[in-house]
Amino acid sequence: MSHQLPAILFLLPLFAAISMPVVCLKHRHWSHPISVATLAVMVLGSILNLHNVINYGEVRYVFSGWTVPFGIEWVADGLASIILVLLSSLGFLGVVFTGPTSPKALGGRIVHYYILILLLLSALTGIVLARDLFNLFVFMEVAAISSYALIGVAGGRALFAAFRYLIFGNLGAFLYLLGVSYLYAVTGTLNMTDMVDRLPFLLSSKALVGGLLFMFIGLGIKMALVPFHAWMPEAYAHAPESTSPILASLVTKVALLAWIRIIYWVLTASDALLQGLVGFYDIPILRLIAVLGSLAAVIGAALALAQQNIKMMFAYGGISHIGIILIGIGQGNQTGFVGGVFYLLNDAVMQAALFYLAGIAFCHYGVRKIDDIGRIGKQSLWITGSFIILALGMIGLPPTGGFFGKWNIILGALEAGNYFSVAAVLLSTLLTLAYFVKLLEGIFRQTSTKLDVQFGEIPFSFKLTLGVTSAAILLLGLFSAPIVQLLLDQALPPRF
Amino acid sequence: MVDAFLAVLQRPNFLTVVIIFVWGFYIMVTRYNLVKKLIGMYLIQTSVIFFLVSISAKKGATVPILLSTTEPVKSTIYANPLPHVMTLTAIVVGVATLGVGLALCAAIYKKYGSLDEEEIIKKLE
Repeated sequence: MSHQLPAILFLLPLFAAISMPVVCLKHRHWSHPISVATLAVMVLGSILNLHNVINYGEVRYVFSGWTVPFGIEWVADGLASIILVLLSSLGFLGVVFTGPTSPKALGGRIVHYYILILLLLSALTGIVLARDLFNLFVFMEVAAISSYALIGVAGGRALFAAFRYLIFGNLGAFLYLLGVSYLYAVTGTLNMTDMVDRLPFLLSSKALVGGLLFMFIGLGIKMALVPFHAWMPEAYAHAPESTSPILASLVTKVALLAWIRIIYWVLTASDALLQGLVGFYDIPILRLIAVLGSLAAVIGAALALAQQNIKMMFAYGGISHIGIILIGIGQGNQTGFVGGVFYLLNDAVMQAALFYLAGIAFCHYGVRKIDDIGRIGKQSLWITGSFIILALGMIGLPPTGGFFGKWNIILGALEAGNYFSVAAVLLSTLLTLAYFVKLLEGIFRQTSTKLDVQFGEIPFSFKLTLGVTSAAILLLGLFSAPIVQLLLDQALPPRF
Repeated sequence: MVDAFLAVLQRPNFLTVVIIFVWGFYIMVTRYNLVKKLIGMYLIQTSVIFFLVSISAKKGATVPILLSTTEPVKSTIYANPLPHVMTLTAIVVGVATLGVGLALCAAIYKKYGSLDEEEIIKKLE
C-alpha cells in the first residue's frame, strides 16, 4: 500500500474530476462537498506519504512494471513529499474558500469549474513527482490548460488576460519541449537519473547547452521570472476571486520546483559538473540564477509599489518572491538551498493568504483599489489581524516564517561571498516594506468614501482559510528550526 | 563562416525547423488579430513537432516489432518508437491548447465585438 501512495495521491483528484460530471449530473451542489472531501483525503494521504518517506526512505514508483530507463519513473523523495503536503493543503483550503466566492454567473457549469480545479491539482502533483523530462512537459500542459480555463471563467477582462497567458504559456511549454528534444537527441534518454550518467561524456556538446537554454527560458516563462513575467499580474489580478489563491500560490512555485529538479538532480548530480559548480563552457549556471533572481526580486517589488489594484500589487509581490527563492537556490551551498526551499514553502502560504484577503475584500466589501481599502478598517478582527500577521511575514519580521527563510538565504549568500545577492534581498525587503506601509496606511486611514452599509459577519469558510494561513505563517516561523533541519536531512539534492 | 553556412545546408530539416519557428514567433509578435496570433502559436508547435520527427527519422527502418525472438536484436533496422510517441502526445497537447485558445477568442468576440488586440485594449480602458 505505502509504495503505491504517490500514484494514489495523483489519481485521487483525477478520478474525482473524471467522475464528477456523472455523479453531479442531477445534483450540481454536490460538487463542492465532493471536492472538499477528495482534497481532505489527499491532505491525509500526503502527510502519510511524508511520514513514510521520512521513516523508510524515498519511494520509487515505476509505471506498469517497465524498468527504469524504458518506463516512466516517479520518485517521492523528501523534497517532493514536503511540497506535496503543501500542495494538497493549499488546494484543500482553496476549494473550501471557493464555496462562497465561486463566480455566480456560472450556474450549472459550476461542476466544470470544480473539475478544472481538481485537474489542476492532480497535474501539479504529477509535476512534483515526475522524474521524466517529457512527463513533466505533459503535466505542465495539463496544469496550464486548466489554469487558462480557470482564469477565463471570470469573463470580461479576464478573457483577454487568459488569452495572453495562453500565448505566453504555450510558447514557454514548446520551448521547453524543444529543449527536451535536444537533450533527448544527444543523450538518448528522458529519465533524469539515467541522464545523470550520460552527461559527463557530453560536456563539449553545443546541443546540450542550447537545449538547456531553451528549457530554462520555457520554465522561466512558466514561473514568471522577470523578463518573462508580463502575463502573470494581469492573469492573476483578473482571475476569479476563488481561483487566484490556488494559482498564485502553486502554479509558479511548482514550475520553479521543476527548474530546481533539473539543475540539482540532473546537471550538478554528475561528477564532472560538480567541480566548482561551474557548468558548460565555464558558464556559471548557479551564478546566473542568482543574478536573475536578484533582478526579479528588486524589479518585482518596485513594480508592486507602483500598483493601485490590490491583486495586481500582490501578484507583483509574488514575482519578487520568486526572485528571492532563486537567490537562495543559486548560492550553491546547503544553507542557501535550504533557505530557498523553506522560503518557497512560506511564500506559497503567504501568496495564498494574500489572495484570500484580496478575494474577501472584493467579495464582501467590494474593494479592488487601495484607495477604497479603508472600508475594511475596523470591520472585522479576522481580516485586520491576519493582514497584520501577513504583512509581518511578507516583510520578513522575526516571529514569522518569512524572516527565517530570508535569514538562511542571506547566510547562504554570505557563505558564498555573494554580496550582490545580499544587497538584492535587503533592497527587495525594503521595497516590500514600502508597499505594505502603503496598504496599512490605507487600512487605518479614515477614507472619504466610507459607506454606511453594515457589512455583517464574514462566512465561516473565510475565517477558516484566513485563520489556517495566518497560523501557518506563524508556525512556520516558530518551528523554523525543526523544519529547516528536516529539509537538511531529507530534501538536499544528491552529492551536495 | 562559410563552413557553418554549408553545414546548415547539409541539414535542411533543421533549417526548416528554425524558419518555421521564427516565422511563427514573428506572426505571434507582430499581428494584432488574435486568431492570427493563434496561427503563429500553431506554427511554433508544428516546428517543434517537426524537429522531433526529424531527429528520429531513419532510412529503411521498420516498425519496432521483433521479427523473431531467437536472433539477436539489430537496433538499426527498427525505428525508435519513443520520439514518435512524444510527437503524438505533443500534437494532442497542442490541439487542446489551440481549442482553449479558440474558445477564449470566441468569448472575447462575443464580449467586445472585435478580434483586434488594439481595439479590445481601447475598449478595456
